Formats: sequence, structure tokens, C-alpha cells
Amino acid sequence: MRSYIARRIAYAVLTFFGITVVVFALIHSVPGDPISFYIGRAGGVTLSRTGLEAIRRAHHLDRPLVVQYGWWLKGVVTLDFGTSILDGRPVVDRIAEKLPNTFLLNLLAFLVAAAIGIPVGLWSANKPGRLFDRGSAVTFFLLYSLPSFWVALLMMKLFAVKLNWLPLFGMTSDDYLDYSTAGRVIDRIRHMILPVATLTYSQLAIFARFSRSATTDVIRQDFITTARAKGAGNSVVLWRHAFRNALIPIITLLGLTVPYLISGSVIVEQIFQWDGIGHLYFESILGRDYPMIMALSVATAIVTLLAGLAADVLYAFADPRIRLGESSR
Amino acid sequence: MQRAAADTAVDENTPQEGGTLLRRLETDVSTLNPVLATSRYDRLVENYIFSPLIYIDANLQPTAGLAEKWEISPDGKLYTFHLSPKATFSDGVPLRASDVIFTLHKLVDPKTEAPQIAGGFEQLDLATTRAVDDHTVAIGFKEVFASQLSRFNELLIVPEHVYSKGDFRNDFVSQAIGSGPYRMVRRVPGKEILLERRDDYWTRKPYIKTVLFKVVVENATAWNALQKGELDETPVSSDIWLNESNNVQLKKKLDFRRFYTLSYNYIPWNGRDPIVGDKRVRRALSMCVDLKSLINNLYHGTARAMTGPFTPDSWAYNPEVPVVEFNPLEARRILNSLGWLDTDGDGILDKAKKPLRLEMLVIAGSGPTMIFAQLFQSELKKIGVQLNVLPLDPSVLIQRVLAGNYQAAYIGWDQDPDPDPYNIFHSSQIPPHGQNFIYYANPQADRLIEAGRRELDHGKRQAIYRELHALLAEDQPYTWTIQVSSKWASTRRVRGVRESNGYGLFLWYPGEFDWWIAQQPPPR
Repeated sequence: MRSYIARRIAYAVLTFFGITVVVFALIHSVPGDPISFYIGRAGGVTLSRTGLEAIRRAHHLDRPLVVQYGWWLKGVVTLDFGTSILDGRPVVDRIAEKLPNTFLLNLLAFLVAAAIGIPVGLWSANKPGRLFDRGSAVTFFLLYSLPSFWVALLMMKLFAVKLNWLPLFGMTSDDYLDYSTAGRVIDRIRHMILPVATLTYSQLAIFARFSRSATTDVIRQDFITTARAKGAGNSVVLWRHAFRNALIPIITLLGLTVPYLISGSVIVEQIFQWDGIGHLYFESILGRDYPMIMALSVATAIVTLLAGLAADVLYAFADPRIRLGESSR
Repeated sequence: MQRAAADTAVDENTPQEGGTLLRRLETDVSTLNPVLATSRYDRLVENYIFSPLIYIDANLQPTAGLAEKWEISPDGKLYTFHLSPKATFSDGVPLRASDVIFTLHKLVDPKTEAPQIAGGFEQLDLATTRAVDDHTVAIGFKEVFASQLSRFNELLIVPEHVYSKGDFRNDFVSQAIGSGPYRMVRRVPGKEILLERRDDYWTRKPYIKTVLFKVVVENATAWNALQKGELDETPVSSDIWLNESNNVQLKKKLDFRRFYTLSYNYIPWNGRDPIVGDKRVRRALSMCVDLKSLINNLYHGTARAMTGPFTPDSWAYNPEVPVVEFNPLEARRILNSLGWLDTDGDGILDKAKKPLRLEMLVIAGSGPTMIFAQLFQSELKKIGVQLNVLPLDPSVLIQRVLAGNYQAAYIGWDQDPDPDPYNIFHSSQIPPHGQNFIYYANPQADRLIEAGRRELDHGKRQAIYRELHALLAEDQPYTWTIQVSSKWASTRRVRGVRESNGYGLFLWYPGEFDWWIAQQPPPR
């Protein structure tokens, strides 16, 4: 077991460096640089050449790419991710400002999607081909195919403008600071409903179909028939016997979904003015803000690798065959 | 949050005190340190908290700011400003000449990395710049620039006793102390900035008590917020303007405004290109831009034609220069006379076996730009010129244009209040030195540009620029197309909103400091 985990970690570290090299090479091979973005943003206004030169030097943009990567790596080893070229602030500070917002929103969306999608998937697997199975599949696929900016704007128009039930945008109200603790919690929840709904509706299909297909494989097997023959109730059979054995594909799905918790969504963040990572990523790519892009990519890479690692370890716990047989994948 | 529509019986001529103004920030500020400002959004907020030595008025002429009066030495290189002795910072400390000197030193220090504001102070001469006494400051320059005075409007003064301590780049991002009419109450990054009027402000106080800037990136969200009364002002898109600005119900709640600023669109032609390097070819191509149809059909009359480097509202504009006439037949005749003929009958003009193919770069994702490009493309096709349109990401487009790696592009300028065109048309400003990326080099134009930027007499300077306007229109280094008007909506409770002559609703004096709120929000 220990050597299995050690080997997985070693792979993860190697993969991590591979990712940084690829991202660094990719972003620098895209034409355009931060200086041209500065000039574009200033329009016809005269810019100071000394000032632009100072920026170029401070960020080593005048050096060969290999040297630039060296500088960047040296910083990373000492946990210094550099300062944003666009506003001169440490990138870690800016990410720390926005990460909790994105994480909270996406975690909720994830939990809601799982809480609705997985039971629906199980129930569909239990009675395949029935009205519930067909109906939920059609509904979820319909939702899945609706563009989120359109749904978000429609929901906004209906619930925030026409009915005035929910706030229009933002994470808190203008007078949030005057509220009691309970009032603040309610205010925050009210602000989260529309963004969470927008993020959730398209994920329902993924969770439902995935758990349905995982369970369908299991539910035809003999031990389920045995369990039913013993007289176990339907829900006991589903949850205790079928679901536990369908866990492995579901763990895989969770491992794949976790990175989205921190990567944010440009559309939802922009429409609901949710101050998160998605918009930051988008802006830093437009502005060729290399240090910011690298830091965000590294953060996403680390979370992706950790999630993969965690999923691998969880497999081992969920299915003893994985730790006995040496990894054959 | 919903507020009743303003009472129409309010006396328009008697501004009311107090109230909260809800303003929109399309992008969160990157810093509140005015020396480091990189975008107009930073300045929108900083203008309330800090003050410059001089403001510009509704006609873009200098007017008193921190300086009550000023003199320029006979050689034009030394500016002496007499500061108001009443001026104080929001922490109560009087503003002194030494604060101005400190701000200037910070500005030109390369460590500050302030390319934006420092651009107007590149010729600053620190050797002759000094505090004469507590309320008099002399600022020297190595060269004479007629536009220099207006540049002092960009320079917001920071207090030395606060900004000399700590990390200049990072410690003043979310806090600010200045000598402007408002003080900073709080900033929540990504969400809002709350400002409160100073009771101890040292000159005429504005009417509005508090100003809340809300960050709203998405236009559709801002438009909904305006209708709900959660914002008091926002620019509106052309689509919304066309569909809603005559909506009677909405007009009870909202005021719609449309005005021109200092920006315009144009096609730069690469002067080093063998085809469009010839001004006769450029003129022929300009004749294929159907400005009238563009203005009427694409912008429904909310745009106007440009004829040269100066906008119609500018004092430098030459009203005698005509718009290039839309005349594809004449264009084809000109091209034929230059040897471009359709010898192989494929519908495309050619010369020495080479077809007349051009490539124009446009910014990807901009709807009107793409439509313009397609209209131009179809007009050119009719006379046998093949135009390929290449949409690019803004950074890529600018990099290619600055590197001279293009034939044509469709882009825009946002000009300074002073119309000095040195940076974009003088032959010394060919990249990498400046933004003359059309490689335009005309000795006569150079002479006029140099004379214009050194001439301190306004009347003579105007005559020089009018001559330059005519000369550039003749050479057509750009195909000047249109100015698209800015469109704005504000709630009816906000009064006293006026437009300046080219600078929009704010950032001139008194501008936003003359606004007032017609009705107090009901007490909660």
C-alpha cells in the first residue's frame, strides 16, 4: 500500500514539472505580450518609454525564454510567484482574495448537482426504460444543452427584475455590514441561489447518467438478485449493495470534477458579478499577465494532481483488488 | 433597494444637498495609487479622492485646481504654480509644495513603473524643479511643449508624509489619502468602493454626500441594475440605445444621453507596403468606404464621419476638409491608371501577374467592427480588390501593427485632451520609438507637427493644426472613418449632469462635482 502511494506521488511530482514547462511554453508562444497590451489599453495616450522598459526589466521580459523559466522556477521553489504585470500586486494576494469565493460557489454547485443527480441516476438504473428513467434523461439532457449565459440572464430577468425575489448580482447587499449575523447568512444564501442554479443545471445530466450506468452494470449481477431474494427492501438493495459497488466509477467522476472547484466560470462570474478566479484568469490571459497565468495554472495543476492522487488512493480502499495486484493501468 | 421615481416637481435650478450616488465601475480599479494608474477606471475613483494642480473645464481648457494661478516662463520651459494656501489632505495636514515635488519624483522614478502618467512628463527637468516656498512650486522641462499644461491635469498629488512610508507599489492599493472633495471609507476588491464627502473640504463642496462605486462587469447586468435603481448611471450599448431610448415607460425613470468623445476609428495603412504605401492607392481604397451607409444603417445616425486627425469638436479641426467621397467607379479608374488591370479576367485586378489582394486585421469579437470589415470587403470586391479580413486577439493585433507586420487594420484612437499628434504622425516616432506604425514620413508634416507642439500662442497653433489636418487628409496615411457616439443612461433622480466638449460626463471640472440627487432615498 505504501509503495503504491509513494509511486503515485513520484508520478505526480514529475507530471507537475511537465505541466509547468508546457504551460510556460504555450503562453509565451502565443503572439502578443504584456507591453503591447499596455499600449493597447492606453489608446493614443503617450506612454513613458522608461516606464515600459522598467516593467520589461522587472519581469525579465527582455531575457531568453529559458532564463525566464529559470527565474520563475527559482521563485516558485521559494514560494514566490511574482507580481502581476498588470497591476504590480503579488499574484498570491490577488488569488487569495478570489479563491474562497470561487471555491464556495463551485462546492455548493457540486454538492447540489451530486445530491440531485446521483439518486436520480440510481432510481433510473433500478427501473430502466420506465417513464422516470426516460423522463429524467430527456429533462437533464435538455438542461445540459442550454447555454448558461442565456439561462443566467433569463433567470435574472425573472427572479431579480420581474418578481424581485432574489438579488440581481454580487455576493452581498450594499448594506450587508449593517446586518446581524443571521441576516448576513441569509443575505449570502440569497445571493448564491441564481449563480449556483446556473452552475448546477448542466451538471445534473453528468451525475445522473454516470451513476445510472455504473449502477446498471452492478444491478444485473447475481448478488443483487440474491439480496432481493433474501427479501431486502428496494432502497436497502439500491444503497447498500448496488451503490457501494458502483462507487469506483463515481469516485473517478469526483476526481475529475474537483479541479473545477477552483477554476471558476467566466460566464457565471461575469453575469452575477461574483468576484472569482474565472474572471481573473480570463483577464490575465487577455493581458498576457504571465506570472498570474502561471500561478493560476500551477494551482489548477496541483489540485488536479491531488484529486487524481486522492482518487487513486480511494480506489485502493474501495476495491482491495487494486492494492493487491500491482497497478496494471 | 427599489426607489420611487424622482418627483417631477423638483426645482431643477435648486440643487439639493446629500444623498448617495450609485456609480458603475466596468472593471475593478487596479490600484488607488494615482501615480500608478493604468486605466480610466482607476481615474474615475481617484478623481474624487485626489486633486490635480489644474483641472480641465467643459471646453478642455485649463482651470484652477490645487493651483489658483500659474505662469509659464518666456522660454516656455518653466511652469510656476501658486497653490491654494487653504488646500488640505483628508487627514487634516495642509498640502505643501513639497508634496508636489515628492509626487513628481515618484512619477519619474523607474522603480515606480508608471508608464501611463509618466508619459506626459518624459522631459521633466528635476534640476530646475523645486519648491519656491510652501505654496509655490516651479516645475522645469528640457523642451517646450504647448500641450504640457494640460498634462498637469493627469497628475494627482499624493501627500509625502503618508506615501513616503512603506511600499509605494503595494501599500496604497486599497487605501488612499488625498486632497480631493471626498475621502475613502472602504474598498472591497471586486465589489465596491465607498466614498464620503469631506466636511473640511477646502474649496466649493459638491452636493452629493456619499458615492458608492459598484463593480459590474457585464453590460446586461448593469442595464438590469439601472432599471431596478441599483445603479444610477451606466454606458449603454448601441443595441439597447436603439431599442429602449424611446421607450416611454423607461423614460419616466431614466435619462438617455448621447455625445461624442475624443475617440475615433480608422484604417492605418502600412506605409512600407509596396501596394498601400502609395497614397493614390490609399485614396482609391478610402473611396470604397461607404460612410453614409455605415452611419445610417449600422449606427442608425449615432455616429459621424471623420475627415482627418482631429475630431469635429476639437479647436484643431479644419472644417474645410471634405469627407472622402464614396465613389467606387472613380476608385477603380484610379487603380486602372496605376496599372492595376484585370488582365486574366478573373474579376480581380492585377499588375505584373500579381493580383490585388489585401489583408486587414480586426479585433476579434467586436460585432460592429466585423460588419464594417464585411461591408468594406464587399465594396472592394465590386471593383476587383480582394480584401481578406483577419480577426485577432487585441494583444496580438497591436503587437503585429507595432512591428509593422501588417497591411491594414481597423482600430481606434482615444485621444488626449490636447490634440498634439506628434506621437502618431511624426517621422521620428516610427516604431520602436513611438506609435507612427504607418511609417508616415512627410518633411512638411514633420515641420508643422514640430511647430505646433512648440507654439504657445493658441491662435497660431490652431492655424498650424488646420494646415496639418488638410495635409494629412491629402496623404491619407489612414482612412479616417467615423466617430461613434458614447451612449449613456442615468436615473432621473440624478440631476445636474452635463456633457463636456469631448470628455464625456466626468473627469473635467466641475463635471461630476455638480451632480445632485433630486430625492432622498426613503429612510430604512
